[in-house]
Amino acid sequence: MKLSENPIFITQKRLVRRGGVLAAILIAALVGASLLSGLIAYLADPTNFPSFKSSQEAGKMFYGWIIGVEILVLVVGGFSRISNTLVNERKAGLWDSNRLTPLKASQLVTGYWLGSPLREFYMAAILAGIGLVIVLLAKLSITLWLGTQILIFSTALFFGLLAILVGLVLQKPQAGIAFIAVFFLLQMPSFAMPKYLLTNFLLPTYGIANLFRDSVNSENDYSMHEWSGLPEIFGLPIYPLVLSLALQTIIGIFLWRAAIRKTANPFQPPLLRWEAVAIFGILLFAQHGLIWDLWRGQFPTAVLYNKYFRADSNAPILSIVHCGTILLGIIILGAAGLQPEVVRIKILRLGIKNLRAIFSESSAALALVLAAVSGVILLAQFTASGNSDSWEIYFIALLNLLSFFLIFSLLLEFCRLRFRRRALGFVALWLFILCVLPFILAGVFTNGAIAKLSILSPGIVALADSNNENLNNLLGIVAGHFGIVVLLFIGWQRQWKQLLARAV
Amino acid sequence: MANPFLAIEHLRVDFPEIVAVNDLSLAVEAGDVCGLIGPNGAGKTTTMRAISGLQECTRGSVKVGGHELASEPDALKRQLGFMPDFCPTYDQLTASEFLDHFARAYDVPNRAKRIEECLQLTWLTEKTNALCEELSRGMKQRLVLAKTLLPDPKVLLLDEPASGLDPLGRIELRKILLQLREAGKAVLISSHILTELSGFCNTAAIMERGKLVTFGTIAELGQKMSRRQMSVKWRGDGEKALEILKNSNVKNLEAANLGATFNFDGDTNALDELLKTLVVQGVRISEWRGVGDDLEQIFLQSGAKELM
Repeated sequence: MKLSENPIFITQKRLVRRGGVLAAILIAALVGASLLSGLIAYLADPTNFPSFKSSQEAGKMFYGWIIGVEILVLVVGGFSRISNTLVNERKAGLWDSNRLTPLKASQLVTGYWLGSPLREFYMAAILAGIGLVIVLLAKLSITLWLGTQILIFSTALFFGLLAILVGLVLQKPQAGIAFIAVFFLLQMPSFAMPKYLLTNFLLPTYGIANLFRDSVNSENDYSMHEWSGLPEIFGLPIYPLVLSLALQTIIGIFLWRAAIRKTANPFQPPLLRWEAVAIFGILLFAQHGLIWDLWRGQFPTAVLYNKYFRADSNAPILSIVHCGTILLGIIILGAAGLQPEVVRIKILRLGIKNLRAIFSESSAALALVLAAVSGVILLAQFTASGNSDSWEIYFIALLNLLSFFLIFSLLLEFCRLRFRRRALGFVALWLFILCVLPFILAGVFTNGAIAKLSILSPGIVALADSNNENLNNLLGIVAGHFGIVVLLFIGWQRQWKQLLARAV
Repeated sequence: MANPFLAIEHLRVDFPEIVAVNDLSLAVEAGDVCGLIGPNGAGKTTTMRAISGLQECTRGSVKVGGHELASEPDALKRQLGFMPDFCPTYDQLTASEFLDHFARAYDVPNRAKRIEECLQLTWLTEKTNALCEELSRGMKQRLVLAKTLLPDPKVLLLDEPASGLDPLGRIELRKILLQLREAGKAVLISSHILTELSGFCNTAAIMERGKLVTFGTIAELGQKMSRRQMSVKWRGDGEKALEILKNSNVKNLEAANLGATFNFDGDTNALDELLKTLVVQGVRISEWRGVGDDLEQIFLQSGAKELM
């Protein structure tokens, strides 16, 4: 079925037009025209704008504003529009009405994905057009315009798929905005080392900034130097635009599959087990590929320096990667974990009532697999580092990942079984107590030792400090974390037994 | 039943704390209008959502037009029309655009003509170009019914279609349902207001707490009834009639002007015998009927306790 014949797309188009599209287009045109007139004013009389050294510099500034607004409209606005549309249509019962038609899940998803943010697409098209005029007038490279537009458009599509999933899972429209705010906040720390952290490529911040930096600046210009040059994956240079598009396409395919699956059957988890492992593996592989050259043969001291950082900058890049791995694991475990109620119905259907079968369905089993994947990738990194002193650190990091993944998956299921709808609130509370509170207390009491009680600490401390003399101490803390795993496992088992007793 | 349009066997739906539908089996044939009756929370809506595939079943099978829900959901969708108990409409679309959306989704041939037919059938022709948000609740309900009828499905699931309708709307709905029955559709219609269903249901399924209490044609269920409230009227002197009634198996006999009401314990044959006795003894009967409609009596006799 062609997009122009897709009933969902046609209806969304009608709704967008009826909701008033002219005002939105005029606003975009007005914003764009003001920025364009700013550039024209500079070109007419550069002496009025002493802060700009050249027309190119002025053009970059004005075009930068254009793409800033474009990102806000297309990526943030589009995300919000899609997720809100889906949440509202689910509430109204229209989503179910559409699901009952013979339309395929892929047609439903496509209709909402491309149809509901049409107003934002129109606005972005106007801004992109004005942006092109600015680029041409300022004699900037056309690749700057083309590259940035491709990246913004691909990111909007990528976020659109995320919005579909968010809209299918969340209950409140506002939650979509909260989701995107968290996403951007998490992105912020990676600006410190833009070329080495994957989030800068998944969201194409490096690609866009690099196009601005390298399209005009001369080699002697050291401003924004950390955004200059090509990133390397396992030592091989790659264009940031290509890397961003590749990452967004790969993850986008998984998101697409998840959206289709969730549309066809809302009772399934968004991710299948193999997909969860594949996404985790691909992202982790790419991340370690980015820091590969930084490490090879130089672990762990080289972690602290790179050619752009001062020797005393003490950039704990592997600690950041370690935290990112944990965060990614949490997201994957949350997305792939089955709801206990779904497992209960499966048990009722199959007539199986033993805990071993439950464990294989549980996300705790997936936690073991994710830890194993991390272990293999980390092992490659440590082996390549060629430093025998690093093995103890490797095991501490790996055990920390394993204990964290197990704690999270067991905690999530325990809370889902015990607290049902309030489960996520309790999981957040416990994660705050286990992860964040020790750092806050350490700050309040100015006692760094308290921070080591956090379940994040062993990995962070071991990986950040090349001269750590207290590795045995860290092993003791990890052992304590496995104590938490055992306690959670007992509670988890008890909750499942109670649920199984009711499964008649 | 040989090949019912809608066949449900041992259907079970589980919710976290309760079994919402438990071991439900029923069948609706072409031209049947089956009333799914039960109090709030009996599992009527869950049953309909499970039949349409919107609610996951734990066990059991659902067949619509010979297509199994579990293995042929797409083929089943083309045979089934589901009208939920609320009216989901796109408020910013006109009535005809709303129907066009679903006509395209069902790939209905000759779209414009079919939309016109459905609007006509539901008395909405005048509202063709009105925005959905401008329609009254009753009109929205009829529009959603029109949408349900668009693909000409064999089986219709109507969940509380008359709730919120004014008396005129109910009369119109009744006419539409009779037309559908005549057109040979299999209709499963739920309600907890029995007067809504009487007159056009020829079968009934009574549910309580997720379980089917009784199921059959109205005639079959009437036969099964052991107790009913009756009203009789006669011409002339009623003393003889009252004497006969007092001496027969009746309770709570209350005489009124040229008539009486009473409760009768016994099956239809025993009731027929009583009428015969009255006539043979020379009582000039002018009216002989059950008090309350058939469905209400069936429900009261079914053992289900929690209506309304």
